[in-house]
Amino acid sequence: MHIPDGFLTNRIALSLDVVSGAGILYAARRAKVDISGRTAPIMGMLAAFVFAAQMLNFPVLGGTSGHLIGGSLLAVLLGPLIGTLTMASVVIAQALFLQDGGLVALGANIFNISAVTCFSGYAVFKLFGKRIIVEGKHLFLAGFFAGWCSVMVSSACCAFEMGLSGAIPLHIGLPAMLSYHAIVGIVEGMLTGGVLKFLLKVRPDLMKDEGGTGFGIPDWIGAMLLVAIPVALLIVAGSSSLPDPLEKLLGATPIASGAVPANPLSSSRIGDYMIRSAAFILLVGLGILVSRLVRSRRSRS
Amino acid sequence: MRHNFIDRYAALDSPLHILEPRTKLLAFTALIVGVLSIPATNGFLFFIYAFAIAIMMGFSQVPLNYIVGRALLLLPFILLASLAAPWKGYLGFGVLFVRAILCLILLILLTNTTRFAELLRGMRKLGCPQILAMNLSFLYRYLFVLTEEAMRMKQARDCRRTASAPFKEELKLLSSMLGTLLIRSFERAERMHSAMLSRGYSGDFPVISPRKFSWHDLAFLSVVTLFIVSTFCFTNR
Amino acid sequence: MTEYAVRIIQLSYTYPDGTRALEKIDLDVPCGERIAIVGPSGAGKSTLLLHLNGVLQGTGSIKILNQKLEQSGLREVRRQVGLLFQDPNDQLFCPTVYEDVAFGPLNLTVPADEIQRRVDKALSDAGLNKSIRSRSSHHLSLGERRRVSLAAVLAMEPAILGMDEPTSNLDPRNRHHLIEVISGLKATLIIATHDLELVLDVCPRTVLMDQGKIWADGETRKMLADSRLMDAHGLEVPLSLKLGFKSK
Ligand SMILES: Nc1ncnc2c1ncn2[C@@H]1O[C@H](COP(=O)(O)OP(=O)(O)OP(=O)(O)O)[C@@H](O)[C@H]1O
Ligand SMILES: [Mg+2]
Repeated sequence: MHIPDGFLTNRIALSLDVVSGAGILYAARRAKVDISGRTAPIMGMLAAFVFAAQMLNFPVLGGTSGHLIGGSLLAVLLGPLIGTLTMASVVIAQALFLQDGGLVALGANIFNISAVTCFSGYAVFKLFGKRIIVEGKHLFLAGFFAGWCSVMVSSACCAFEMGLSGAIPLHIGLPAMLSYHAIVGIVEGMLTGGVLKFLLKVRPDLMKDEGGTGFGIPDWIGAMLLVAIPVALLIVAGSSSLPDPLEKLLGATPIASGAVPANPLSSSRIGDYMIRSAAFILLVGLGILVSRLVRSRRSRS
Repeated sequence: MRHNFIDRYAALDSPLHILEPRTKLLAFTALIVGVLSIPATNGFLFFIYAFAIAIMMGFSQVPLNYIVGRALLLLPFILLASLAAPWKGYLGFGVLFVRAILCLILLILLTNTTRFAELLRGMRKLGCPQILAMNLSFLYRYLFVLTEEAMRMKQARDCRRTASAPFKEELKLLSSMLGTLLIRSFERAERMHSAMLSRGYSGDFPVISPRKFSWHDLAFLSVVTLFIVSTFCFTNR
Repeated sequence: MTEYAVRIIQLSYTYPDGTRALEKIDLDVPCGERIAIVGPSGAGKSTLLLHLNGVLQGTGSIKILNQKLEQSGLREVRRQVGLLFQDPNDQLFCPTVYEDVAFGPLNLTVPADEIQRRVDKALSDAGLNKSIRSRSSHHLSLGERRRVSLAAVLAMEPAILGMDEPTSNLDPRNRHHLIEVISGLKATLIIATHDLELVLDVCPRTVLMDQGKIWADGETRKMLADSRLMDAHGLEVPLSLKLGFKSK
């Protein structure tokens, strides 16, 4: 699931870096973590918990190991924004400590493994009802589906990015990733549900407040836009049949040179290319704009 | 379990180690981007990059077998992914594989020539939000504590279990173990928080920076910039 | 009128899982006194100490230096009370030892050279040499970790110092050094420990706890020599008292 450097084209990797960077600045600002309060140490400790749990690789199913991702669990316990931040630090630490996932691909990994798992897991969990935690009915089921869906969505994103980069063709990568993670997701889901149920039984007081930050409808819309726009642009801009603008800029030829038709300079090609380049520039500009905005609001407050 | 597997050689004192963390973060990112933009057909450039990386490895004083060992750990995934490359023949596979390995070695070099605390300071100065930096510093500190705790629980479970339990039982056991670990983490966080408060914590993590930006950094940055620019010029020719 | 460093009145505490850990504790500690809390494992010693700076909040009232321990003024009170936790891992949260020890003084916005002085003094008081400063706490041995957390607490120069098992995992030399350092402190000391020899050396007054209650409170040498009382609470008369050493 952790994408190493080398499998994403510069364009996709760098634009996801921008997206994730902006997203993290947004989350850090929006989550309004009261750093003098107890949320900060809890976030840090839970990040260490997820990291340790992922490293353990408990053996399940006679041999294959269940790889706990934990994003949906954190999102349920801490809320999606703080959950995303916490998971993001896990992903960064995995890249820096274990070289699990690359440095330039960090943005992609943060996007897949923290943002996507936390938000999809949280959304699915909330489908089961607003007061599901307090009531505790169907808690296991809600946790299970949150965990399973988050793993599936996240692996699909991973396959898409690799496919768009031309590293692993989508028609091979997507089914492979999805079918493998459908099984991993079962373990993840059962663990998420089981842990939630266990927590409710033993320490219900821990589950009452969801990290204290309400996540209102405007935030959902904001978050969806933040995710959806870049994804859409990526799909428009990311087709591997054309030279990567950055690579073009740097005078390099695309890796998938076999896929480029014989006459790449036909007029329709050039128009196509310009549209895609414009989309890419728009995307980067948007990312910078968002991060600026968040920055300036943060410095003002 | 010995836990200096993470930044084992970060405390050495090589020309690479004494650089300011910001310098290294920027330079290594640039180098990785450089590797990623090498055109597939340009074998000579791959060689040049590999040569440059080998020189840095030599200067870093990080033992070669350690770097190779770490790289081997991640090899299976890289191999698998490279095999799925959409081009026929060995070229696609080779290009993906070499790229990934070069990037991986760069990352290993970066993390093993910089103490984590300093890497964090560098990130903080480059604009990483405080909460994230704090989170990472806590994670770094408590990772070992929690891993050890988890290992002990796992051992305790393995000692008590006789025959292998059915899948469902196993998962139930596992989730209650994880739950216990989670609860302990929460409680530890609370105690840690109070320890922080009793030492006057008010939301700011004080930063003490031992390494300063010096002529070393300037020299290193200019060499790296020169290198990357010249390789691009070379491909443009 | 005596000034009280700590006044605890009718303090009870139940853990979230329902364990009743403290029951109606009354305890007064005058300023500058050194008292020991002894008792079998699970008596509630650590739980009591954790109440001193508001980590845990039970029912009843606690006054620190004549100020009630409440949610509002908690921050000020906490600076007066240094707590050495039973598990040093809870206390060392910075990437390096130096940062951990300097954390407190830095937060008090003490000038830089003063920070340097405090850190150096705290480290040497805790029996650590300078080479340890740049190391990470998770690479240290348990005894070293305990001493670093002691240094971190001492660097705050607190008026009241609560210590939970200060001598566990220390080798004999460091234990003696610690006892010397403790004896030289001006702060009010509350020490929870199983090390009765330490109690004899340092604390004139002892409180015996068992099952969340205080069973005896009085002069150390008298109490620790009372073999009936000690046996009843799972403790034993320290060897040096039995053999008649340490008669002052
Ligand atoms: N986090 C907790 N949750 C529930 N019960 C707890 C918790 N911590 C302690 N207890 C219980 O509270 C009681 C008092 O524990 P405490 O840690 O204060 O004992 P202690 O006197 O310090 O023992 P020791 O000498 O072993 O350190 C014990 O029965 C213990 O099981
Ligand atoms: Mg105790």
